[in-house]
Amino acid sequence: MNAAFLYQLLFLLPLLTAAVIACFLRTKHNLAANFSVLSGLIFSAIALFLIYVRPEGDWSVTWLTLGGSFELKFGVLFNDLSALMLLVLIIVGFLVQVFSLGYMKDDLGKARFFAGLSIFMFAMLGIVLADNLVMIFIFWELVGFSSYVLINHYFDKPSAVSASKKAFIVNRIGDFGFLLGILFVYWQFGTFDLVELEERARLSPGYLSTGMALLLFCGVIGKSAQMPLHVWLPDAMEGPTPISALIHAATMVAAGIYFSARVYFLMLPGMEVIMWVGTITAVFAAVVAFGQNDIKKILAFSTLSQLGYMVAALGLGAASSLQRHGEHAVISTGAAVAMYHLTTHAFFKALLFLGSGSVIHACHHEQDIYKMGGLYGEMKITSITFGIGVLAIGGFPFLAGFFSKDSILHLAHESDFNLVSYLLFGTTALTGLYMGRLFVVTFFGKPRSAHAERAKENGPAIVLPLVILGILSVIGGYEWFFGHTFEAVIGAIPNAEGPFKMLMIITGLLFSVGGLIVGWLVWNPSKDSDTLENVAPGLFKALVAKLYFDSIYDWYVKKVQDRGALILGFLDQLFITGLMVRGTAEIIGLMGIVSRSLHGGNIGGYVYWFAIGVVVLGAIAFGVL
Amino acid sequence: MIALLTVIISFSAASIIGFIPGKNTKLIRSLALLAALATFAASLVCYFQYLAANSQFQQVIDLAWIPAIGAQFKVGVDGLSISLLVLTGIVAISGVLFSWELEDRANQFYAYYFALIGGVFGVFLSLDLFLLFVFYEIAIVPKYFIIAIWGSGKKTYAAMKLVLFSFVGSAVALFGLIALYYGSGQHTFDLIQLMQEGEFSETFQLMVFPILFVGFAILAGMWPFHTWAPTGHVAAPTAASMLLAGVVMKLGAYGCLRVAIGLLPYGAIYWAPVIGWIAVINIVYGALIALVQKDFKYVIGYSSVSHMGFVLLGLATLNEVGLMGASLQMFSHGIIGALLFAIVGTVIYTRTHTRQLYELHNLMARMPGVCWAFIIAGLASMGLPGFSGFVSELHVLIGTWNQDQFSIWIIILAGFGILATFTYTLVKIHEAFFRASQSHSTTESYAPMTLAEKAGCALLILFAVAIGLYPKLLTSILEPSLAPILEALAVAAG
Repeated sequence: MNAAFLYQLLFLLPLLTAAVIACFLRTKHNLAANFSVLSGLIFSAIALFLIYVRPEGDWSVTWLTLGGSFELKFGVLFNDLSALMLLVLIIVGFLVQVFSLGYMKDDLGKARFFAGLSIFMFAMLGIVLADNLVMIFIFWELVGFSSYVLINHYFDKPSAVSASKKAFIVNRIGDFGFLLGILFVYWQFGTFDLVELEERARLSPGYLSTGMALLLFCGVIGKSAQMPLHVWLPDAMEGPTPISALIHAATMVAAGIYFSARVYFLMLPGMEVIMWVGTITAVFAAVVAFGQNDIKKILAFSTLSQLGYMVAALGLGAASSLQRHGEHAVISTGAAVAMYHLTTHAFFKALLFLGSGSVIHACHHEQDIYKMGGLYGEMKITSITFGIGVLAIGGFPFLAGFFSKDSILHLAHESDFNLVSYLLFGTTALTGLYMGRLFVVTFFGKPRSAHAERAKENGPAIVLPLVILGILSVIGGYEWFFGHTFEAVIGAIPNAEGPFKMLMIITGLLFSVGGLIVGWLVWNPSKDSDTLENVAPGLFKALVAKLYFDSIYDWYVKKVQDRGALILGFLDQLFITGLMVRGTAEIIGLMGIVSRSLHGGNIGGYVYWFAIGVVVLGAIAFGVL
Repeated sequence: MIALLTVIISFSAASIIGFIPGKNTKLIRSLALLAALATFAASLVCYFQYLAANSQFQQVIDLAWIPAIGAQFKVGVDGLSISLLVLTGIVAISGVLFSWELEDRANQFYAYYFALIGGVFGVFLSLDLFLLFVFYEIAIVPKYFIIAIWGSGKKTYAAMKLVLFSFVGSAVALFGLIALYYGSGQHTFDLIQLMQEGEFSETFQLMVFPILFVGFAILAGMWPFHTWAPTGHVAAPTAASMLLAGVVMKLGAYGCLRVAIGLLPYGAIYWAPVIGWIAVINIVYGALIALVQKDFKYVIGYSSVSHMGFVLLGLATLNEVGLMGASLQMFSHGIIGALLFAIVGTVIYTRTHTRQLYELHNLMARMPGVCWAFIIAGLASMGLPGFSGFVSELHVLIGTWNQDQFSIWIIILAGFGILATFTYTLVKIHEAFFRASQSHSTTESYAPMTLAEKAGCALLILFAVAIGLYPKLLTSILEPSLAPILEALAVAAG
């Protein structure tokens, strides 16, 4: 079968699904949901065929031409890297759709929700397959839009509304730099096409610059929620939980990582900055996670932290001497490691989010972990799968997270940046600990609210995706799992050997299991309040406030930007409308008054003016004036 | 001849409808819709004819008019004018649709309405500068009456301000046109002849270019002569704000491109950096002021000022991509600006009877259809991919980047302007639609959109999306028309 046809089908399917729902099924909620899942199934089947069979053929159409100098195409660049990202997208995407059948069962906006999901799948597909920068930017914005609509799902809740706005605007701030970066690339290399760019960048590396790399990285900072634009992601948890799992944990926020891996050659000059941004984000988010009591917010900060690891890996790849040049190894080590962690993270973080969704659903939309507790007894499957997720993210040996985190730490270890290595290493200990706190407080001890007491395990639509993701979180890190399909990516990952490998196994065991044990000891599940809050209330308060980033931004918006705009508006009224426009009118009016006063109709006045006129004319005539 | 039909139909409609007794509103609005559809159809025929032939100017009609001063009645169309004819046709139709409920002196309203439209069509068709100026003036007069009679708020002030600004602008432009008449040494107003044979000295170009450009640009809302625009747009009745923002502002930009840049390329190159700076001031200034407006219609009014900044910026790039961007942005803003004004001025206002943002509550729950329509319009306005605004802004930005005379700050500020546009649009969408009610506990739904409103929205959104997805619809007719201007610029640059 021709690949071009399949690509077209792949793009059309989610778009048509959204259109059909928006036009015909707005009020037929169940029909819309089933239709969407069915379409998702076909979508996944086609994608799997493309990934594993790789049929021949390209697809590219010219979208815009202008005088030969400027050409924009719509096309597909399908390689091992995009195949891997597509695999993640369809696995998590399809499971989340199935999960949503259960989770959104009685929701009044179900049709809108599923239409939004379809638009998201379409937009994300575009980022994954796009063969040029403008196309990436276009779908990048569409992803932002679908995320906006989905966060805004509960639009009668003011917090959800403001979260959606914040997410959209903060993303756009990053995209401001991103767009300038894309234009910069075009100005230097004269093309948007990824393949041509790679060619030209290799031939004339002098055109690459730190400025270009960092402008492009602005987009990554926005979309992948790195410091200092991380503030939107925790707020985005106001959206429905399946959305948090798919968009705000597994795929959309990872798009920045994927993009960086895709244009790795353009980012090279900025890698040191990129590494530091990732490292700081990883540490910062892990610390702040201790101050959150909302189950989804904790997971959101853990997502931030893990994204920080991926970004750090990108940067470390350039700094490290490790290169495993296999036969197919075409992408750089850093990008490969980042993509590896992206993949395993997608599995276990989607698992954790859907698990939290299961808990939230069972507790009637209670999200405070101190109003949960004792759920293990009634919700065995959710608890066990959630536990697997906790161990996987903590780096328990031979689970998915262990391998990918191991390779990041390995890169850091081999680099010249000891501080980065220590920080990333230390953060894995923090990860184990805050996840331990979350797990222990949520599932053990006594129920701390009426909702938690009445909680029951959910139906198969919710539980089945958990089990599948649980299995993936166990096996998703092994090389045999990937086979040779993604050789260009997986083959480029360096393997730790010898003593370092032993060290990783031991610390992985120590931090993940130790996190649980210490978590149990410190945050005793039989207590009703947070230990840290009792011991160090000042610190806890600062952590609850997310270390004041939001407050500073709010201050800027309210006091600087809004006031600046107000003053500008005032000046517009005063100077332009007032002084210039009114002023001109007044001067003309004044001239009118003066000339009118000359024509007062008073005979005496006319005689007087006449006399002055005679004198002046006489003076001129006689040469006096 | 078909192109000239647009003018003939408009003026005939104006005179026929004007004499129908005002009580026959049904007859009047059907006739109005019919006339608008007919002009649109004529413009579409021109479009397809041009696509097929792709020559320079088509359907040229050249009649002697005032031989003593060398003024001819010379009309004709190229891609640039056709794109604006089509735009005018679309806005004219949707303007009638959004005034469907108008009953107060409907006959006079549509008489002025079509007189204005006829003048606009005439400007886009004129190939003689004197004729162009006459149509330009014809278009100004009806605006005064439409705003002063059917407007709202400070309507007489706004009408007077708008008309004075327009007249001042055209007086300045007239001065420039007369200078062209003498400076060319040809003693003709013939645009084509001036372009091909007019030899303007460099000093002449340096001096006359700013006069012509500013004269026309006043009508395009150029800072600091922009203040007529928000006041006028806000006070005008919906159909007129749609025309003002959608089409009349384009008259100015069209004059800047066709006359000022087209005839005086050397002057254009000299003054380009200055225009570039003014253009980004337009963009950022308009956007920031829109951010703090409390009146929904003022938000849209200032957004027009900001969006016209992109047209000016595209013009100032003086390169292929940038001029294309400016032309696309003219069309795009025409569609989107009209849509925004329509929704705020008619659809929301007739239901809530307020334009103050703080008086709107729970609209998303109470009129979801309207809110979605506005959100789509807002997304288009903020330049989201998939809508025409993205294509045009992208062109302008690439053009700006390629303009060597510009300081790097111009492109940074333009990018910042896009960000600011995005912010105020989203902030205002949230203020208007998503704010929960505080004092009011009412949650009853408003009436859904009427068929006419739905049709108007659908028509405008259709074109915004069509150009957004398939820009070739416009670029293929614009490209050959911009070529001679670019050629003149290349010659002037040496």
